[in-house]
Amino acid sequence: MTPPVPVITVENLSKSYPMGFWRKRVPVLSGLSFTVLPNEIVGFLGPNGAGKTTTIKILNHLAFPDSGRVTLFGEEAGKSPNLRRRIGFMPEQPYFYEYLTGREFLALCGRLCGMERDAIVARSREMFDRIGLAGAEDKAIRKYSKGMMQRLGLAQALLHDPELVILDEPMSGLDPMGRMEIRNVIRDLRAAGKTVFFSSHIVSDVEALCDRVIMILKGEKVAEDTVGELMGCEILYVEIVLSPSPPPAVLFGCGIPPEAVSVQGSAVVLRAPDVDEANRWVDLSRAAGARVCSLTPAKRHLEDVYVARVEAGRRDGNR
Amino acid sequence: MLTGMLSVAANTFRETIRNKILYAILAFALFVIGMTTFLANLSFGDLARVVVDLGLASIHLFGVVMAVFIGITLVSQEIDRKTVYIILSKPVPRWEFVLGKALGLCATLGLITFFMAVVLYLVHAGYRYGQTTEPGIFVAAAGIYMELVLLTCLASFFSTFTTPVLSAIFTLSMFLIGHITRELLFFGGKSGSPAAAWLGKAIYYLLPNLEIFNFKNVAVYGLARSASLLLLPLAYMLSYCAAVLLLACVIFSRKDFK
Repeated sequence: MTPPVPVITVENLSKSYPMGFWRKRVPVLSGLSFTVLPNEIVGFLGPNGAGKTTTIKILNHLAFPDSGRVTLFGEEAGKSPNLRRRIGFMPEQPYFYEYLTGREFLALCGRLCGMERDAIVARSREMFDRIGLAGAEDKAIRKYSKGMMQRLGLAQALLHDPELVILDEPMSGLDPMGRMEIRNVIRDLRAAGKTVFFSSHIVSDVEALCDRVIMILKGEKVAEDTVGELMGCEILYVEIVLSPSPPPAVLFGCGIPPEAVSVQGSAVVLRAPDVDEANRWVDLSRAAGARVCSLTPAKRHLEDVYVARVEAGRRDGNR
Repeated sequence: MLTGMLSVAANTFRETIRNKILYAILAFALFVIGMTTFLANLSFGDLARVVVDLGLASIHLFGVVMAVFIGITLVSQEIDRKTVYIILSKPVPRWEFVLGKALGLCATLGLITFFMAVVLYLVHAGYRYGQTTEPGIFVAAAGIYMELVLLTCLASFFSTFTTPVLSAIFTLSMFLIGHITRELLFFGGKSGSPAAAWLGKAIYYLLPNLEIFNFKNVAVYGLARSASLLLLPLAYMLSYCAAVLLLACVIFSRKDFK
């Protein structure tokens, strides 16, 4: 079976911008390479200034690379404007024409994408319902809140039903409900066979949504893998909850170290360093008359991996 | 075909027509045009000609203010506010965006110039109640409009690569020099200095000659009766605008958005 054509291929991408009075070129991206396959949700993680937005601008032909190659659906990015018909893009903190209403703005976006009038009307209605802006269609955009602007940004990106959706910090500025709704929209997109590539520094969102993660730091890739692989199978510790439980002093007497015992309300919580120790402590606690309520192995979060990689990258950079 | 350009133009027309500053300038222009009858009474000679003269000067002055101060922000504001990211991420070539922006503002200026000309015509007709009216007002206003279109294209061109303040300085400089290019050519030739003569020629041939659009005096003396007067200026305006917009499109198509 032939492998699928990647939706995004970035090869050895480098980019610098002139800065300061003497226009000295400062590198933003250095030899970045990655691919995004069809029907994947790929998270693009990195701290502020890592080069996420620059990469996304190059993908959308808003900036030009110094060197390297970007192909979308197998075609060179920016060669044909028609390629952009297959892409939906939401910039970071989108700003719109504030003299327009939400409906007028989506109509403009639809026309720019070459949609027919009837299709624009139908899709706009669908989008307003789907992203939670129903009722605000005829309100001037200048009266929209930050969260509403973010939703409108997503609506314009999805209006023409693109195959690839590129989102730059889609969750930024949203309340928990808003973030959940956007997460649901992204999941629906995958269910509909679309490909989603989004940048974020909210690691929990990336962990919850993505099939794969690309981490960059100072314009260089520091990791590219599936979320599961990045987080690993290693168990950091095992949490044992006892309720009812004899007083902690009894547990200490059984050989459980005091620093591993804590009291939380009526329950006693033990933190065992590994699975073998957890089994031993369970036996000891039960022998002392405790009842085991729960036993939870703690794995690494993507955030731990991310922080470790970023710190390692910074240490390497300082050397 | 050209859907992107026409959509951008329609949106720019809507943007400018909903701009409150435009209405403030327009209201002031209409007030001044209305006041020409009062000012004419303070003058000597053919008072109806003074009404036409002052009225056309007002249309010219306020038109230039609108063209320059809206034109200079036309593209740069889109970049500053990042609205350009949304537009250019759609299947719209960059040149269509630049042309659409200029076309939209030209449409607004056309509507406003026509409106001011109609008001002046009515004011003049009212002043000369029962006598012949002056259709030359519309010929002169068309000349003014062509100048505004050229200035809009220049302002759009400057706004593709520099800040609004510098764009305003450059466009206003073009406006001022554009009205004295013939004099600069003449005095450069008479100066006896080869460098001054060369400079006069360079300015004359490279910078726009805006006096070619000036039909105000012709209209004041009732000689602007035929629209055929406008053919040569129209050809000049179209070719100059095409060259300026071509440059603007080339610069904008290579622009990196930081």
